[in-house]
Amino acid sequence: MAESALTAPAPDNSLAQWLKRRLFANWWDGLITVFFGAFVLWVLFKVVGWGFVDAVWSLENKDQCREAAGACWSVIEARGRLILFGLYPYEQHWRSTLACGAIVATMILSCLPWFWSLRRLPLLWVSGFGVFVILMYGGVFGLPLVTTEQWGGLALTVFIFAAVVVIGMPLSVALALARRSPLPVISKLAGGIIDIVRSLPLLTILFAAAVVVPFVVPDWAQGDKLGRVVLAFAVFFACYQAEIIRAGMQSIPPGQEEAAAALGMKYFYRVFDVLLPQAFRNTLPSTINQFVITFKETSIVTIIGFFEVMASGNAAVGTGNWTAQYVEVYVFVGAIYFLFVFGLSRYGDYLEKKVRLGVA
Amino acid sequence: MPDAAIQLIGVSKFFGKYRALNKVNLEVAQGERVVVCGPSGSGKSTLIRCINRLEEHSAGRIFVEGTELTDDLKALDEVRREVGMVFQDFNLFPHMSILNNCALPLMRVRKSSRQEAETVALSQLERMKIAAQAGKYPDQLSGGQQQRVAIARALCMQPRIMLFDEPTSALDPEMVGEVLESMVDLANEGMTMICVTHEMGFARRAADRVVFMAEGEIVEEADSDTFFDHPKHAKTRAFLAQILYRRPAEA
Repeated sequence: MAESALTAPAPDNSLAQWLKRRLFANWWDGLITVFFGAFVLWVLFKVVGWGFVDAVWSLENKDQCREAAGACWSVIEARGRLILFGLYPYEQHWRSTLACGAIVATMILSCLPWFWSLRRLPLLWVSGFGVFVILMYGGVFGLPLVTTEQWGGLALTVFIFAAVVVIGMPLSVALALARRSPLPVISKLAGGIIDIVRSLPLLTILFAAAVVVPFVVPDWAQGDKLGRVVLAFAVFFACYQAEIIRAGMQSIPPGQEEAAAALGMKYFYRVFDVLLPQAFRNTLPSTINQFVITFKETSIVTIIGFFEVMASGNAAVGTGNWTAQYVEVYVFVGAIYFLFVFGLSRYGDYLEKKVRLGVA
Repeated sequence: MPDAAIQLIGVSKFFGKYRALNKVNLEVAQGERVVVCGPSGSGKSTLIRCINRLEEHSAGRIFVEGTELTDDLKALDEVRREVGMVFQDFNLFPHMSILNNCALPLMRVRKSSRQEAETVALSQLERMKIAAQAGKYPDQLSGGQQQRVAIARALCMQPRIMLFDEPTSALDPEMVGEVLESMVDLANEGMTMICVTHEMGFARRAADRVVFMAEGEIVEEADSDTFFDHPKHAKTRAFLAQILYRRPAEA
């Protein structure tokens, strides 16, 4: 008797029971289920019909596009290269592909915990960017020179994102640490920088870096326009990320740093072994959020004349015979963004689970 | 005073206008075990936190193993290497395994290789009878186990002095025993210890001397038998009456 009193009744898990419980519990529930079920099916039917069933797929059949009820994917075949490579010289597209691959590979590698050390991670990124710049810029190993004004498409988007994050992350840690410094000059300075940069729109900052800097900074210190834009973007990113990291550090009980100090660990180790790993763990969701926003915001560099993947998409439908196919092109570009951002979100999810298990 | 492990001369500590310590004089000899007790807010924790400069004293002088605590960071590092501390809330690093909790500080502070550090760590965990948990993470352990790991972690640095800041106050009652047992073992091995605690049983068994504090001052100090059997000061008697009255009811 005692045993049966302690055992929960076995739940009825049959499909019919589940449907009844979740979807058709009463007439009102049933009505909503039917209505929204029908709506979802209708949307699916339309999307699949437009995107697949009625679509025209190849360039040869592009004449059918006018009559076809569905999408005209011929445009991707015709203008896909322009979207993916922007203004990059046609014969050199393979270089852009490899360079883009190098950055993506570096991104994926730096997701592996094996690389998470102060020695390995910088080494990985220096080589990743090295390969990228050699391939994209050329001028060595018999590769023709391609200046940054001609860089474009997906490779440019990925490069800007990676460079902003890689420069911005260490900068954000430095700003966060400076802001909680006991020395008022340093903490006020860091706080001031963060507050000023945050209160300016990204657009203004990038515009200033691209257009205003050449007027006020001597030639030798100007550097490349793309370089300036990336640097400015990184500072902007760092100011937001610094506040996220600071929040993460504030959520750590003061006893953690005290324990490390009592063991004789110096400031550097207290920060890098005890505080920062916990701060990153605590702020993983907001950090991933910041990454996602940054990836999508890279499209803003269009306004200073860089043809990243979004601008290239615009250019692809802007002229010539394909002006009618803008929806297809935007869907294509959207799918590229989705691929990256969704991957990032899934990785964030995986990290959170891992951290919760106490493995990372 | 070269033979004193710890020497406090006229030490005061202010938090803003609040006076936590008022001209405290205390001397602890090598190998001596001192228990500090007193009502909450009496400055006991502040006192021992000044000894490894987790709190900076406002006035007076503090010597640890002959080194004076000043703004000199190098001297401070030296002192902190000699002084181990155990906290009320354990303060294990939650993102590291038990083994790494003990080994990493050794690698960072003593510059040991990972292998050396892990050997030392395991032997200290063994000493605290917790080596079987070495691969786990702090939140997988009970409070008593965590506190024993914290003691092992402090011992890894081979300190000559151990400070305990209410090491059993955050524990469930059934876990107090195992931690006190480890501390008694440590005391019997001749470690210099200062322990802030209300565990009067421990004080009687292991302490050479009991220091009673109230309102930031040392009110009374005596060897443990004298302290418990013939307390002199009225405040001491009141405190003991309260704490000893509470004991049997809990046990």
